[in-house]
Amino acid sequence: MMDADVGGLAEDFSNNQGVYIYRPALAGISQGERPSKRRKVAPEPKKSNDNTCPFVPLLNGDESEKSVRLRYQTYEQLWSTQEAKIQEILDDVDAEVLECVSSFVRTTSPEIYGGCIPAALLTVGSNVSSLARLLARLNDQLTSTGEGSVIVLESGDAPNLKTTLKNAIRAAIINTEGNDGYQSFLTDREGPRLLGYDLDLLGDYVKRKNIKHLVLAFRDSEAFDPGILIDLFSLLSSWLDRIPLTLLFGISTSVELFEGRLPRSSVALLKGSYFELHGASKCVDHIYERIQAEGQFWLGRSLTGVLFEKSSDYFQTPEAFCRTVKYTYMSHFFANPISVLLASDIPDDLQQDRLCESIRNIPSFREYCEILLEDGHTRRVRDLLEDDSYLFQQTIQLIKAGQQSMHDMFQAVRFISLLLKDLNIPKKANISELSIRALSGELQDSPLLEDILAAFRRLDSSKIEEILPHLPEAMTKLPGFRDIETDLRALLQTHKGPDPLRSEYDSQNSVIGTTIVQQRVKLNQGKAKLPEECVKYTGIIDCSHALLSSYFGTILIRPQELAFHEAFLLDMRNPIKEVFAPRPRFAIERALSNPFDYLMFTSQNTESRISAKQPPTSILYQLYLESGALVNIHDLWQAFHAVFESEQGDGCDERMTMALFYRAVSELRALGMLKHSRKKMDHAAKSAWMGL
Amino acid sequence: MQPDVDNQLPVSTPKRQRISEANATGEKRTNGDGVLELTPSKRVKRTPQKPHSETPAALKASGLRTPSNRSKAKALFSTPTKENIVSTATKARADRSAKKKSAQLLLEQDEEDIWDGGDRLAEEILAGENDATAPINKQDNGVFETVEEGSVETTMEKTVATPKRRAGRPKGAKNKRSPTPEGELPAHERYFFQNRAGPPRTSNNNLNKVNLLNHEEYFEKHAQRQDPCKREITFLCDLHRRSFSQWDFEFYQGFNICLYGYGSKRTLTQNFADWLYRKHGFSSPPSVVIVNGYTPNVSIRSIFATIVTAVLGADIPSKMGSQPIEVLELLQSVLKSRPSQDPIAVFINSIDAPTFRRAANQALLARLAATPKIHLLATADTPNFLLMWDISLRDQFNFVFHDCTTFAPFDTEFDVVEEVHNLLGRKGRRVGGKEGVEFVLKSLPENARNLYRLLLTELLSMADDDHNAADDDMDAADGGAENGPKDEAGIEFRALYQKASEEFIASSEMMFRTLLKEFHDHQMITSRMDTSGMEILSVPLSRDEMEGVLEDLVLG
Repeated sequence: MMDADVGGLAEDFSNNQGVYIYRPALAGISQGERPSKRRKVAPEPKKSNDNTCPFVPLLNGDESEKSVRLRYQTYEQLWSTQEAKIQEILDDVDAEVLECVSSFVRTTSPEIYGGCIPAALLTVGSNVSSLARLLARLNDQLTSTGEGSVIVLESGDAPNLKTTLKNAIRAAIINTEGNDGYQSFLTDREGPRLLGYDLDLLGDYVKRKNIKHLVLAFRDSEAFDPGILIDLFSLLSSWLDRIPLTLLFGISTSVELFEGRLPRSSVALLKGSYFELHGASKCVDHIYERIQAEGQFWLGRSLTGVLFEKSSDYFQTPEAFCRTVKYTYMSHFFANPISVLLASDIPDDLQQDRLCESIRNIPSFREYCEILLEDGHTRRVRDLLEDDSYLFQQTIQLIKAGQQSMHDMFQAVRFISLLLKDLNIPKKANISELSIRALSGELQDSPLLEDILAAFRRLDSSKIEEILPHLPEAMTKLPGFRDIETDLRALLQTHKGPDPLRSEYDSQNSVIGTTIVQQRVKLNQGKAKLPEECVKYTGIIDCSHALLSSYFGTILIRPQELAFHEAFLLDMRNPIKEVFAPRPRFAIERALSNPFDYLMFTSQNTESRISAKQPPTSILYQLYLESGALVNIHDLWQAFHAVFESEQGDGCDERMTMALFYRAVSELRALGMLKHSRKKMDHAAKSAWMGL
Repeated sequence: MQPDVDNQLPVSTPKRQRISEANATGEKRTNGDGVLELTPSKRVKRTPQKPHSETPAALKASGLRTPSNRSKAKALFSTPTKENIVSTATKARADRSAKKKSAQLLLEQDEEDIWDGGDRLAEEILAGENDATAPINKQDNGVFETVEEGSVETTMEKTVATPKRRAGRPKGAKNKRSPTPEGELPAHERYFFQNRAGPPRTSNNNLNKVNLLNHEEYFEKHAQRQDPCKREITFLCDLHRRSFSQWDFEFYQGFNICLYGYGSKRTLTQNFADWLYRKHGFSSPPSVVIVNGYTPNVSIRSIFATIVTAVLGADIPSKMGSQPIEVLELLQSVLKSRPSQDPIAVFINSIDAPTFRRAANQALLARLAATPKIHLLATADTPNFLLMWDISLRDQFNFVFHDCTTFAPFDTEFDVVEEVHNLLGRKGRRVGGKEGVEFVLKSLPENARNLYRLLLTELLSMADDDHNAADDDMDAADGGAENGPKDEAGIEFRALYQKASEEFIASSEMMFRTLLKEFHDHQMITSRMDTSGMEILSVPLSRDEMEGVLEDLVLG
C-alpha cells in the first residue's frame, strides 16, 4: 500500500512523512517513465551481485580492477580464518558452564525440589553478552534433541503480567513453529479461542510437542519489576504440573541482592543452583593472543592500547572486541593499496607503475634504502628505484620476512608469558600488557626480561624438561640448540637420582657461610661442593642461558623498524577511536565555535573572530558562550544584530537577521543548550558549558 | 536621636544605599561584608546622612515600602533626575507631576528614551502615594534632601571611583559580576563562575518592543537568504559523499552506521539512498526504508510495519499485531524464512528525536538493528545522544560512528518559530496571534464570539483600571510581571460567568464551560489558579492585539 503512494512524491512530502519506502528521485525514473524501468528488468536479470566487490580503486582511482579484487579477496581470506579462530574461542570459553547448566536443566524436575520451581542463577557480572551466547547455545542443544527450548525474556518484554505471559508464550511457540505456526496454533484448536496470555496455550503446546524441559530465562533479571516477578512465580508454580519449567536468571550484581528484592514467600517458591560465568577480560586476552600470534597482519601498539582500553574500561563484550578488530582489518584493506601484497599468491602481472610508485613513497622504504646506502649497496638502491620488477620481487620477499619476524615476536611473547608462569616470577603481566610492550620495542633489555633470565638459571632439570617442548620454533632453529639439547638428554639419561639436577645457581646448591670479622657478621655465599653431574648441568644451563638471551635479542625488535611494515602492521589510533568511541558533543561544540575547521574557507581570513560570514548558529553560539547562566534574549538578539550591522552597514536587513536569529536560537534549543527560564521575562537558561 | 533611631535608620538608609550602590547589590550578597553594610554596626558610616531623616515616622513609612522587591536592584541612576531638583522648590506640584509622568511612563513603555531606572523610579514614586499623605511630603522631602546633600558621596560612589572612596571601591569592582571573567578559565571553573549564587545580573530589556516573526515572515525571509558559506557547505557534503562506498562496505560487513555532528543530515542520507540505487542498478533495487524521527506521528510499530511491507511487498499478512514487538517478531521470522532476501537498509533520521528518546523505543530499535539482513543507518543531532544507550543496547546496535558535520539548516526537523516562542514562554503565539484568533472566531457561533468579546472588554477595562488607578493591584501586577508578561492580568471565572449570563450569552454553567472549551482548544484563552484557588481566565495576546480583535468583533 505504501509503495504505491510513494512512487512519485515530491521531496517535500517525503520529508514530513514519518516512514516510507524510498524510491529515488533521479532523472529518468519519474512516475511517467515507469514502463521503461520495467522493460529494463526483463532482459537482464543480473547475477552480478555475487561478484561485485565492495572495495573502490585507490591511488586516485588508478588502481587496477584486478588489484582491487585481490585486495578484497585477501581481506576476506585473512579475516575469515581469524573469525573462525575467534568463534572457536568464544565457543570454548563458556563450554564448561554451558555443560553444567544444560545438565542441570536436563536433570531437574519439580519433584526433586519438593514442588518448587527449579531455578538456575547465573552471575555474569559485566560480561553481559556471554549470557545471550550461552542461552542461544542451550536453546540449540535442547531444540535439536527435541527435549525443549529456551524462552528468553528481557525486562522490556515485561511491562505487566499479561504482556509478560503473552510474550513468553509467543516466544516459546515461535521458537520452534515460526510465526505462522503461532498464528495457526492460536486459531486451529477446538473449543473456545484462547487469549494470547493464557497459559493453557503453553500447556497445550508442551503436550503436543512432548516437551520435557522448558527454560524461561530472564536475561537482565535486575531490571524486571519485582512485582511482576512475584506474580509470575506464583502463577507458574501452580502450572508446574503441566508445564515442565526451569527458570534461569542472569544476574549482574549478586545473588544476595537479587534475592533481597523479592519477598520471602516468592523466594520460597524457587529452588535451584548457582553458576558463575567468567569475566570477559580473560576471553579478550585469549582472543587477542590468537589473532596476533597466528595472523599475517598485525595490530600495532597504539591500536592494541585502544582495544584494551575499550574492553577493560568500558566493559566491552568479547563480541564487540572482535568487531573492533574486524574493523581494523577492514580499514587496512579498504584504504591501503599496499595491503594487496599480503595476498597468498600474487600474480606477476599485478605489478604496475602506480603500485610501485606508492611503494617507493612509503617511509619504511626510504629508511631501508638509507640503510642500504650506509652499507654501501648503492647498486641495489639504484635497482630498487629504477627497476619495477626488482622492486616488486624485493618487496614481496621483505614483507614475507617481516611477517616472519612479527610471527616470531609473538611466539616469543607467548613464551615469555609461559616462563613468567613457570618460573614463579611475582610480576604479573598478561599477554596484552606484554604485547603492548613488545610492539613498542620496550621488552628488549627490560627488567622483566632480566628477571626471567636470572630465574632461568636457577631452574632444575625437571622444570627444564617441562619447558623444552614449549620452546618457540625460532629458538630451536638457532645454531647450538641441537647440541645443548642432546647434551641435556644424555645427561638426564645417565642421571638416576630421585632429585632433579640443580645448577650451581640454585639456592640449594649454594652455602651461606657466616664469618665474624671485626665484630661484624659477614655473609658470604660459597658454592657447595657439587657432584659431577651438576657441574655438567650447570654448563648446559649456562649455554642455554646465553642462547636464550641471544634469542630474545634477535626476536624482540621494534616492529616499526621492519622494512615495509606498512603493509602488514596497522598502528593508527584514529579510525578505530573515532569510529567506536565518538565524541559527538565535542564535534558539535567545535563546529559551532570554530566553524572554519569544517568549512574550508579559502578566500577569507579564518581567524576565530565572530563575523557575519559564519553560519548564524555558530555566531550565536559564540555570543552564547560569553553569556552567564541566564541569558537575556533581547540582549542576545541585539548583539547578534550588531554583528551583522557592523559588517553590512546600512544594507543590513533587520528582519532577515531576525530570521537568522530565530533559526540559530531554535537550533541551540533543540541541541539542548538553551532552555526556557521562569526567572525573568524573555530570558533563557544556559544548559551546556563548552568543554565540560 | 542618633542611638535611638538605630532601628529605623538602617531601614531607611538601605534605600538610599540601594539607589546609590545598586550596581553593587549583586556582589554585596555574595561576599560577606555586603551583609554587614545592612547591619546597624555600619551606622558609623552613615552619620553624615542622619540629620536629614527628620522623623522616625517618615522613616518608618519608607521602611515599610522598601521590602517590595521591585525596588531591589537596578534602581541606581534613579536619583539624580530633573524632578528631584525641581522638588525642593514646589514640592506638591512637583510630586504630582512626577506621579503623572511615572504613570505615563508605566503605561507607555514603548517610548524610545526609556532609561534603565525609569520604571523603578516611577514605581517608587507611585508607591509612595499609598502612604499617608502627611508623611509623603516629609518623606519625599527627606529623600530628596538626602539626595542633594549626600549627592557628593552617592554620585561618587556609583559613577567612577573618586579619590575619597577609592579604598573601598576596587574591591567591589573586582567582584563586579561580569559574566565573562577575564582570562581563559578552564571549562569547569567557568561553569562554577557563571553559576555563582546571587541574583542574575542581566538587563531588564525584553522583547515587548521587538516585533517578533511569525511563520510566514520567517519562511519568506528564509527563502530569500543567500548563504555566504554555501560553497563551503557543498564542499563539505561532497567530502561526506565520498565515504558512501565505505559505508556500503561497512553495511556489507554487518555493521550499522550512526552519523553525528552539527547540521541536518537528512539530505546526506537521501543522497546515500540514491547512491545505493545507482550502485546496485535499477534492475535489482535495494530496499531502503526511510524514517523521519522528527515527525511527531511516527511510531515504532509503523516503522516495523513498513519494513515488513518492504520485504513482503503485496503479500502482507492481514494481521500484523498491534504491539511493535509482535511486528518485529513477524519481521524476524519472515527474514529467517527467506534466506535469499536482499538486505533491507533502514535509514532513521534523528534517532534522538523526542518521540524516540524513550528507553523502550530505543530498545526496540536496537533489536531491529541486531536483526540480520537489516542495515541500519541512524543520524543523531543532539550532542548527548550517546546517553540513550547502555552497553547492551550499544552492543545490539553495533554502530560505527562517523562525524558528518554538514552545517545544513534543520529546516524540516524543527519548527523554528515555534521553538523560539516556546523558549520565550510565548506559547500563545501558536494560534498565529491576532489573525489566528480572528480566524478561529469567524468559524465559531455567534454566542462564542459574544463571549470572547465580553472577555476582551472585561480584560481591557480591567487593564485600563489598573493603569489609571495604579493602586494595590499595580503592585501585584508588578510582582507578576517578573514571572510573565503583563497581559497575564485576567478575569475571575465566576465574574465572567456572571456577566455572560447577564448578557444572555450562556444560560447555564455547562454551556458556559462548553464555550470556553472551544477557546481552550484553540489556545485562545489561558486559565490558571490564583493563590486563593480561584480560576483566572486571560487571553494570551498583547494589549494592542486584544484591542484589534475587539474592534473587529464589534465592527464585524
